[in-house]
Order: sequence, then C-alpha cells, then structure tokens
Amino acid sequence: MIRADEHHLRNGTLKAHSDQKQQGSNSLKNGFHVAGKVQKNANGDSFHQPRVRGEDSFEEAPMYVAVLTYMGYGIVILFGYFRDFLRAVGLEKCHQAQEREEQKDFVPLYQDFENFYKRNLYMRVRDNWNRPICSLPGPVFDVMERVSDDYNWTFRLTGKTIENVINMGSYNYLGFAENNVDFLKTVAEETRQYGVGVCSTRQELGNLSIHENLEQLVAEFLGVESAMAFGMGFATNSMNIPALVGKGCLILSDELNHTSLILGARLSGATIRVFKHNNMQSLEKLLKEAICSGQPRTHRGWKKILIMVEGIYSMEGSLVRLPEILALKKKYKAYLYLDEAHSIGAVGPTGRGVTEHFGVDPNEVDVLMGTFTKSFGAAGGYIAGKKELVDYLRSHSHSAMYATAMSPPVVEQIIRAIKCIMGVDGTTEGQRRVRQLSENTRYLRSRLKEMGFIVYGNQDSPVVPLLLYLPGKVGEFSRAMLKRKIGVVVVGFPATPIAEARARFCVSAAHTREMLDKVLQNLDELGDHIRVKFSRRRPSHRQELYNETDFERDS
Amino acid sequence: MALADAWKQLSWFYYQYVLVTALYMLEPWERTIFNSLLITVAAMAVYTGYVFMPQHIMAILHYFEVVQ
Repeated sequence: MIRADEHHLRNGTLKAHSDQKQQGSNSLKNGFHVAGKVQKNANGDSFHQPRVRGEDSFEEAPMYVAVLTYMGYGIVILFGYFRDFLRAVGLEKCHQAQEREEQKDFVPLYQDFENFYKRNLYMRVRDNWNRPICSLPGPVFDVMERVSDDYNWTFRLTGKTIENVINMGSYNYLGFAENNVDFLKTVAEETRQYGVGVCSTRQELGNLSIHENLEQLVAEFLGVESAMAFGMGFATNSMNIPALVGKGCLILSDELNHTSLILGARLSGATIRVFKHNNMQSLEKLLKEAICSGQPRTHRGWKKILIMVEGIYSMEGSLVRLPEILALKKKYKAYLYLDEAHSIGAVGPTGRGVTEHFGVDPNEVDVLMGTFTKSFGAAGGYIAGKKELVDYLRSHSHSAMYATAMSPPVVEQIIRAIKCIMGVDGTTEGQRRVRQLSENTRYLRSRLKEMGFIVYGNQDSPVVPLLLYLPGKVGEFSRAMLKRKIGVVVVGFPATPIAEARARFCVSAAHTREMLDKVLQNLDELGDHIRVKFSRRRPSHRQELYNETDFERDS
Repeated sequence: MALADAWKQLSWFYYQYVLVTALYMLEPWERTIFNSLLITVAAMAVYTGYVFMPQHIMAILHYFEVVQ
C-alpha cells in the first residue's frame, strides 16, 4: 500500500501499523495542529500537491467460495419453487398477498423474480432487518426482543429489551446522535422560538431566518459561495437533478451510484451512460465518444455533460478518484456532480469531505451535494456551489417549490454540529471527533485485515464492508452477533451483487477503543466458528485497470 | 471424554454443512427432506460401487494385462 501520506502532517495519520496500538487515546501526538491553529479548508496554503489516496482493495475470494455460494442459492431457490408449488396446490397457506379470485386470469402480479425472492429467501431470514430499537442510535443502543412463531411471517415482541448492544450499523460517523442536554441547549431554545412545524414550503412562507443562517454556514463550512438546504437527502438528489439537466444532456454516472442519483437521472429525461466503477479509462472513453458522436440520432452536440459520482460509495467503502475526474472534466469540458452523502464530515483532516481529503479546491467541483443525515445526526440534504447555480435552484427545484421546509430543531441541530466541527463554538470537541473517527477507522480496518477477513474499500473510509458471500452464513452472522450484543447490518441481493453478500460496519467517533476491541474479539471468535475468514491477500480483478482491452461496461 | 470431543467436532461439521448448503435458512422439515434425498442418493452410489467395483477393477486390470 502506498504510504506517501506519512510525510504530510495531518490528522489521524498513524505512521506505522504497529504504532497504532500504542498511540491509544493520546491523539494529539499526531502533530496536526501546527502552532495550535485549526487548519481550515483546502484552499489557502493547502494547494500543495494533491494527496495520494490509498488504493481501494477489492480482494477476490477463492473459487470454492463462489461455487458454494451459487450452490447454496440454488438449493434455496429449488426449495422455493417446491414451496410455491405447495402453496399453489393448496397444501400450504399462503401468507403473502395474492390476487383475488376474480383476477386470477389477469396478468400475474406476484410471479416475477423479485416477489419470488422476497417470499422464499428474504422471508426466511427477515428477522435480521427492521429490528425495533428503543433508545437513541448512539454508540450503544437497546434493541427490543422479538420472536416469530411461524418462521418470520409474523413477529411478536416479548417485552424484553436487549440492552447496551454495540451499534455498528448506524451512520453516526461523528457521534452527533446524542441526547446530552448541554449540547442540545441551543436546539431547545430554537424550538422554543420557532416551534416545530413550518407549515409551508420554502418559496411561500417557510423561509425562516434560521434556514438562511444554515445555508450561509454550510457554504462557509464547505468553502464555496452559496448553498441551499432541503428537507430530505434522497429528495435532494431526485428532485434537483431534473432541474439541472434535461433532454439533450448527457449524464455519465458511476456503475455503483445510489438509487437517489439514478432516480434523479431518469426523471430528468437526459441520456444516461454508465461507466465502470471508479474506472477512469472507461469514463474517458465514454467522454470521447460522447463528444465525437454527439446526441444519438441527430449528432448534434450535447447541451451539457454531467459526470455523477459519489464521495464514498456506501456498499463498497471506496473513495472516488477525485483528482483524475477533475482533470478529465477540465479536458473535456464536462460538469461534475459530487454526492458527498457519506463523506462529508467523515473524511478529510478537518471533516470537510473528499475535496479536503485530496487537497482539491471545492470551487472546482460544479455541484457539491451532501446529506445531513450521516455525519451531522439530523435529516436533510444540501446542494452547494456557485451563487448563480444555487439561486437558480431556489426557484427551479421541485423540492424548493413543493416540499415543506426543514423543521427548526433539525436545522439547529445541523447548525450546532457544523459549528462544533468548525470549532466556532470555542471547543475542540469537533476536531477531536474527526480525529477519533479517523483513528477508529484505521484501527478497525487494519485489525480486520490482519484477522483474515475480506474487507472492501479504501483505508480511510468509515464504511467497512466485510464480505460473507454465502447466504446461510449471512443470516447466522447477524443473529450470532446480536446474541453477543453487537448490532450489525448485513446486506444481500439485490442491494449487492448476488454472490457478494456482506456485513457493513459504520465506524463512529463515539466508539471507544474498548468497544472496538470487544467487537473485534467477537468477530474473531465468530469468524473462526462460522469460517468467514476468506482472505488470501491476493489482488483482485477489479484492480487490473491497465490490462483491460475493453472498457465497455457490458463486457 | 474423547467421545464428548468427537461429538462436539461432528456437531460443528454438521453446523458447517448446514451453513454452507444454505440449509440453515430452511425449516426443519425441509432439511429432513433434503438430507433424506442426499443420503438416499449417496447410499445408492455406495451400493452400486459395492456391487460393481470388483467387476470394474478386474476389467481394468485385464485391459492393462496385469491379470489374465
């Protein structure tokens, strides 16, 4: 792995692997605070060489694992057909929705693969998702115990609570999901002043002064001219992309983009072309083709070319290749839409996101988008950029015109979180959290790799996917971890490719070293007991960028 | 003592088998069906081997002129 980052005096950069355990909680040793000043954004003196990013790792599993995965799915699918047959014949009661008797001759509603998968595979292990939680989703939380008498078709709560379960699944990167009264004083005050409901859209009577404050603060935090905040992160993407591009425009979107980006792109009516994940040769090929041949039938030039990427991809934990994309963008005169949902607040020495992580000026990215749900412990999203862009969105975005404005306590929570990270409130709490997150991330990732698990993604990303592959082990992993009082999120098809089911850990700044050690110890034992330590340290096919002859996505 | 260890080890092997073949996700009666089918097929293979293996081996040895 490239260790060029050793020479930069930055936060959370631990020199050697073995030093990490000794550094412990004394994180000021890292020497980031040069002369006690908190280094601000990436402009100013940081326009030094862009930081070399560590390589993403996508290690491939041994062949027998893939074979066994498909075999496992095959067996369960066969039994699925068998059970469907029993239900059709009437030997078994069908718990799922069915068409009415009178509609049996219509086009069938529930026979496609998705419904089959849901009935026969998802239902069997459904108790690992949608677990009811009865405390705030901090570093530890309480889970309500529930049992099922009929194999997960119905649940009942036993009334008991499983307490102090370590939370490895919430997007609580900086630990702002807290109910400490001192920190929430300003939130209470603002609620007293503004109430909770806004009862109007931003364009009508819902533009409160607190919204203006928030937007100015977000713009200052990111280092751009202007920003606009919306009530829902998903809606920020899906409602604003149609306002930015339309028919006659081209969208080049990464293979693994989030559903909100895809939905926004489809709603806009622009032509969408997909390039391989993080693969710059594929993107360049598409750009060249687009500029040479123009629009599909008329061969006129495209009105706009928009490249849509994410800062951190939440299922892989990989970081975007920002410097290369900026170079391509300048060369081919395209626009860049950067979705920093997971990376804002979570990467970068002072938590400013991937632009700071790479040492890039945020004004170079045309549209900076992010959400407040993950690192700021609130709800909503923002779009930031040049003043003309944001002013245009204020009047042309569906979200601004039709969606209710953000609720004041939520806005104040975001304001206080941003002020805390920036250090404006006079404490170093925010910086401590950013450093702690970075330390925790590096620690967890390196220990997991040491233990022999296959972990995807970049070493700096707080999203840690641990590959499980086999469908039986996925269910067992989640249940066994809950028995050991650790709550994890496991993901399978269709959110991931069918052969790559995984458990996804989200590291938080609020996790202490003891909690992480407990998690690691349990993972170690469980990994041995279940046998999910597949790593053999072999580089994977995804990294052979320079040996590929064809950069078409479907090859 | 050794029997208890052997039983634990066998039980762990069964657990791994159930996890890997995804029988873990199935209900107990489905596991019974699958295991019975598997054991039936395996038993038939073993029986066929037992009945025909001597003939096959003699034929092979005869072909390679090791035995007349």
